[in-house]
Amino acid sequence: MVNAPQLLQVDVVTSAEQERRESARRGDRAARRQSILQKLGIIIPFVLVLLAGIVLVPSFLSASNITNMLVDGAILAITAYGMTMVIALRGIDLSVGSTQAVVACVAAVSVNAWGILPGILAGIAAAIILGLVNGLIVTTFRVPAFIATLATLGIFRGIALLFTGGAPIMITDSAFRSIATSSIFGIPVPFIVAVLVGAGFWFVLDRMRFGKHVVAVGGSPESATDSGIKVKRIELIAYVVAAAAAGVAGLLLASQLGSVNGSLSSGLELQAIAVVVLGGTSMAGGRGNIIGTFLASLLLAMINAGLNLLNVPSFYQYIALGMLLVFALSLDSAQRAAVRRVFEGRVA
Amino acid sequence: MTAMLAVENVVQQYPGVRALKGVSLSLDEGRILALVGENGAGKSTLIRILAGIEQPVEGTLRLRGEIRRLTNSAESQAAGISVVSQEFRLVPQLSIADNIMLGHELRTAGVVRARGTRARVRELLSTLGLDLNPDRLVSSLTTGDQQMVEIARALSRDFEVLIMDEPTAALNRAEIARLHGIVRRLAAQGKTIMYVSHHLDEVFDLCDEVAVLRDGSLVHRSSTSELNEQTLIEHMLGRKPQVFGRADGAATANDARLVVDGLCIGGFEEPFSLAVGTGEIVGLAGLAGSGRGELTRALFGDRAVLAGSISIDGETVQVRSVPTAIRAGIYMLSEDRKSEGILPHLDVTENMMVSRDTKSVSWWHRLAPSRREEGDLFEELHRELRIRVPNGRHLIGNLSGGNQQKVLLGRALQSGCRVLLLNEPTRGVDVGAKLEIYQLIRRLATQGVAVIVSSSDAPELTAISDRCLVYLSGRQTAELVGSDITEDNIVGASVGQIAVGGTHG
Repeated sequence: MVNAPQLLQVDVVTSAEQERRESARRGDRAARRQSILQKLGIIIPFVLVLLAGIVLVPSFLSASNITNMLVDGAILAITAYGMTMVIALRGIDLSVGSTQAVVACVAAVSVNAWGILPGILAGIAAAIILGLVNGLIVTTFRVPAFIATLATLGIFRGIALLFTGGAPIMITDSAFRSIATSSIFGIPVPFIVAVLVGAGFWFVLDRMRFGKHVVAVGGSPESATDSGIKVKRIELIAYVVAAAAAGVAGLLLASQLGSVNGSLSSGLELQAIAVVVLGGTSMAGGRGNIIGTFLASLLLAMINAGLNLLNVPSFYQYIALGMLLVFALSLDSAQRAAVRRVFEGRVA
Repeated sequence: MTAMLAVENVVQQYPGVRALKGVSLSLDEGRILALVGENGAGKSTLIRILAGIEQPVEGTLRLRGEIRRLTNSAESQAAGISVVSQEFRLVPQLSIADNIMLGHELRTAGVVRARGTRARVRELLSTLGLDLNPDRLVSSLTTGDQQMVEIARALSRDFEVLIMDEPTAALNRAEIARLHGIVRRLAAQGKTIMYVSHHLDEVFDLCDEVAVLRDGSLVHRSSTSELNEQTLIEHMLGRKPQVFGRADGAATANDARLVVDGLCIGGFEEPFSLAVGTGEIVGLAGLAGSGRGELTRALFGDRAVLAGSISIDGETVQVRSVPTAIRAGIYMLSEDRKSEGILPHLDVTENMMVSRDTKSVSWWHRLAPSRREEGDLFEELHRELRIRVPNGRHLIGNLSGGNQQKVLLGRALQSGCRVLLLNEPTRGVDVGAKLEIYQLIRRLATQGVAVIVSSSDAPELTAISDRCLVYLSGRQTAELVGSDITEDNIVGASVGQIAVGGTHG
């Protein structure tokens, strides 16, 4: 080393400074690109479907159709908020439809027996218990969320069917039945509930400590553990909240229908996951996008209402939903690829 | 005076490796203790124990004389131990501010106080001399800035003991100087600091005392003023480094097997150019962010190449994906053997045959490999590579790191490669198996394979490379040949402080 032929002075500091500025620029560009893709991913389809609906579908803007779309979208959105939180944690809850059925049936029977308030409380209590079951299976028994909630999808459905004996339950309480159909200042009550619940979710995820911990656990579980975050507690809470959200939506649904049965809301998980992903929450975990979920729920309600008004057989709605899910997921991957490209420099 | 923090007879074992063999070490208040040792000496294990991430098999930990058990990192932090870990523990989706305050957010009734947090973080960052927007996402930062954020995060907690695991690995000189100033100030305030570093000048410059770990034991401890660099290195190595018989008449560039010309890789300003001769072993050295890992990945088609050419035996090859790279005769073994190397649920034979060059295999056996033929082939390699496994039906996951690596070298052999890229070939491999792997690599080279070894282990590079290229931030700072390949030269050039120029030594 001492007799090295020549010593070069490498200007490390300058080059590092340059590199730093360059990286700041790249980082900003990546963040911008991602946020644009995330927003456009929901806004463009939303506007397109809205325009298509107005132009192509007769009476799309009729008062009854608008109310319909707002109520349907609201009930889906409330379920999907909970799903957003679970997916942000790299989890999933496939049992939301079955949970909703149990809650609706329990609530219907309780409303008939004891009246409106005890009925609602019984429904929420049932939802929390089912959420605890999901959460405990995932955190304590360490069953992967996909399998755990696939199992409870079956179990809860069975409970709902056993509970009702397979027969529909008519809700006799007219006050309960009027919740979903009444409106305040012309705005349907379920829509107001969805906006308020959504605001609550947004606040918790975006402004509260709990929300930061959700992003940490979903984004990098090892970092979360090393930061002293109680990962399992966060996960447990998320599954309980997801079930409770599905339960609240189930109460509104029961109120809207006036009659419930054990096979209510089957296949709901597909819709909920589709709107969450379409709304910009990544299946790879990290940050949940509540506003996106809300808009995507309205979008799906518009598609369904439009197809109904056009007298398209409801079977096509399944196909539309499936395609929407594929679109949403490919957008999610494209988003991550776009960010990676910026860092690896595949695109200047 | 009772020590602030002390470990007594701490033993830690991993399957097949005794990482710590009864270490006792105490840290005094207001002092900066350097912890040095070669890679694999047990420094990181000791830190993980102090951070509460791992629990020792035996031994006790005392905080101000009291016996404590730290069963998770929250307990360690509550006890006043703050750790800057070597691998980043940051959440890419959160902002700088949220990352720094993660786990101890400023809040009122669960609601994060955004303005207070931002002010506190800005203040912390400015003491570190960083001018970063606290709202920027961590995923958009350079490695150096991420390192600073990691440090800011450790400083943001209430702590009595600060443990820093190679905090300067990704920093430039100005940042290092600023960091040293902060560490000195903290010590003057009575904080206890443990500083792990590979850079000996740092140790002498900054630390009051130095403790040396070697092969899981504490072999030396004294005040830094009683030592000089030479004696410290002797303590670290324990002896002269075992020089592996190196062919001094290194292959000339005339019969260059692999020629890389002006290869541009995203994230690095300057293109990479190098040539590796037939039978030559070229070492790549450099710290985090040097680009050597990215270079090997780009050559293997696992990372986008923006411009430049790669040719093998004079023929230009297009490496667009991993399969095209393998077809062109390039094979790479990843540094992350566990998740990117072994296929843990397959046995050793299957693991070895998975990338096999199937030109000589009949079409039927390509679809349904013949167990007998593969078994025979395995037996041959089993003897040749000296893999310690009773038979070819053994699951690879149950083998030691060294034997796994031998199986993977066998896999590379079976791919019929002409260029072999090795990343950290002996990471997690014990000393005995290390030498065998060096011999295997050398034998591969003598059979004509052009070998590139990318390693953070300087003694390893001095032991096996015919030529050693040292990188810093994507720029080659030195090309060392023959007797110039020393640990000092490699370490010096990789921090850019000493750049040894020229092949004409």
